[in-house]
Amino acid sequence: MTTTTEIKMCVEDLNVYYGSFHAIKDASLQVPENGVMALIGPSGCGKSTFIRALNRMHDLVPDVTVQGRVTLDGEDIYAKDVDPVTIRHRIGMVFQRPNPFPKSIFENVAYGPRIHGVRSRKRLLEIAERSLRHAALWDEVKDRLDKSALELSGGQQQRLCIARVLAVEPEVILMDEPASALDPIATSKIEDLIGDLKKDYTVVIVTHSMQQAARISDNTAFFLMGELIEIGPTRDIFFKPQDKRTEDYITGRYG
Amino acid sequence: MATANLAARRRTVNNVMTGVLWAAALSIIVLLAFFVGYILYLGAPVISWHFLTAPPSELAAGGGIGPEIFNSFYILILTLIFTTPIATAGGIYLQEYARPGIFTSAVQFCAESLATIPSIVMGLFGLLVFVTLLHWHFTALGGALTLTILNLPALMRVTQEALQTVPSTFREGSMALGATKWQTIRRVVLPSAIAPLTTGIVLIAGRIFGETAALIFTAGVSVSAGRSAYDFGLFHQAETLSVHLWYVHSEGLVPDAAQVGNGSALVLLVMVLIFNIGARLLGYALHKRLTGK
Repeated sequence: MTTTTEIKMCVEDLNVYYGSFHAIKDASLQVPENGVMALIGPSGCGKSTFIRALNRMHDLVPDVTVQGRVTLDGEDIYAKDVDPVTIRHRIGMVFQRPNPFPKSIFENVAYGPRIHGVRSRKRLLEIAERSLRHAALWDEVKDRLDKSALELSGGQQQRLCIARVLAVEPEVILMDEPASALDPIATSKIEDLIGDLKKDYTVVIVTHSMQQAARISDNTAFFLMGELIEIGPTRDIFFKPQDKRTEDYITGRYG
Repeated sequence: MATANLAARRRTVNNVMTGVLWAAALSIIVLLAFFVGYILYLGAPVISWHFLTAPPSELAAGGGIGPEIFNSFYILILTLIFTTPIATAGGIYLQEYARPGIFTSAVQFCAESLATIPSIVMGLFGLLVFVTLLHWHFTALGGALTLTILNLPALMRVTQEALQTVPSTFREGSMALGATKWQTIRRVVLPSAIAPLTTGIVLIAGRIFGETAALIFTAGVSVSAGRSAYDFGLFHQAETLSVHLWYVHSEGLVPDAAQVGNGSALVLLVMVLIFNIGARLLGYALHKRLTGK
């Protein structure tokens, strides 16, 4: 079996500005298909800014400028004729704090398919069950699908948010510190889930926990003050970093 | 020694200020209680089934306020039918779509200016446009349209504030699933804002119900003579309860003007209180239903 991996997303010379603040400086990297890429670095290094550029979330905020090329299967997602709505359909996102809608558990998972035109209740229920199973939440909620999602625990809410993303069948799933607001048990469930997801999806995850990056990712990119310092297989980044700054961070000499 | 004195002084000042602030808060309750009590004392003896349902009288004693109560609700509902769609749409635009720029600033500036225009001026504007220019004379429709202009800015503000209570994470979550902006607003933002929005609309309804100056010259000071007391005619005169209260006291010829006034004031007060309490209860119930218990 050959090990040539397909490149799912490619970022070239990405620059992001908040007003006049230069938040991401000339970052370039490639995201291989069906793997987990972790983005690590100290707080304020730009990793969240970077990941939000991958599905055009910055479009929603005034005063943010994104320059450079980001491609999905070779197609520039920032090209003029590309609708960001279709991009976000193909590239889903899970946020730092669980953000279920104030609706029932079922309505949360059915939301995505509904807005993309699925009407049949039977079909929506099938999608909801499949997505909730995939997110390892089905057994905990199958008897109370019509209860408010806000009654769930934080960890359950976050898995619901992942199920909600899975329900629209994206190709790439971006996760912005998805476990940082959760306790260790909920965190380990999310990590197991990510390991399972990479069989079918390309996952990019921002994490402030190096242990987490080491446990779950195949590749790791290290950011510092808006610059992409080093990227490579996770094992290499942790055991033989090429850059002095990466080594300093890994060994705990940076915040 | 000096520090002990200072500590004692700081404690005294703290206690005094706590008392002052508490008294200020208490005075609001006392004021309202006194106000309600006094109007109740004067108005209660006047209230009867006959008073609440009979048509008003021009010259003889014993007139009622039936058509006035009806007109107050009729004009209120007309006004809400006109105001709510425009104001919520405008509020949604300003809160969800508008990016800083000349157009946004212009809309905000106009809304703020409109909000500061005294209602009597708005009433005279209504007189000019609806009564004189369009030759409608005094009409329910003219009154309702005048109140629409008067209340648009406030309702737009209410919409904006209601939308501001919706966490931006809901919007992000929806957009990140590939929803369009409108789908996000329609299916996530508006349902989440429905409780404060409803509360705000009901509170403004209370204000519309009590509005007087803007109606004197637009909806008129009498009810259509000879017609049924419950007159849905858009182009008929439609004196409301608050206008009637003003009218009998200042220009009424009936010998029992004072009693009619006191009774009208009580009914008006009770209605406005119902709107205020209703707004709170409704907001609470909606909030509970939407967020689950």
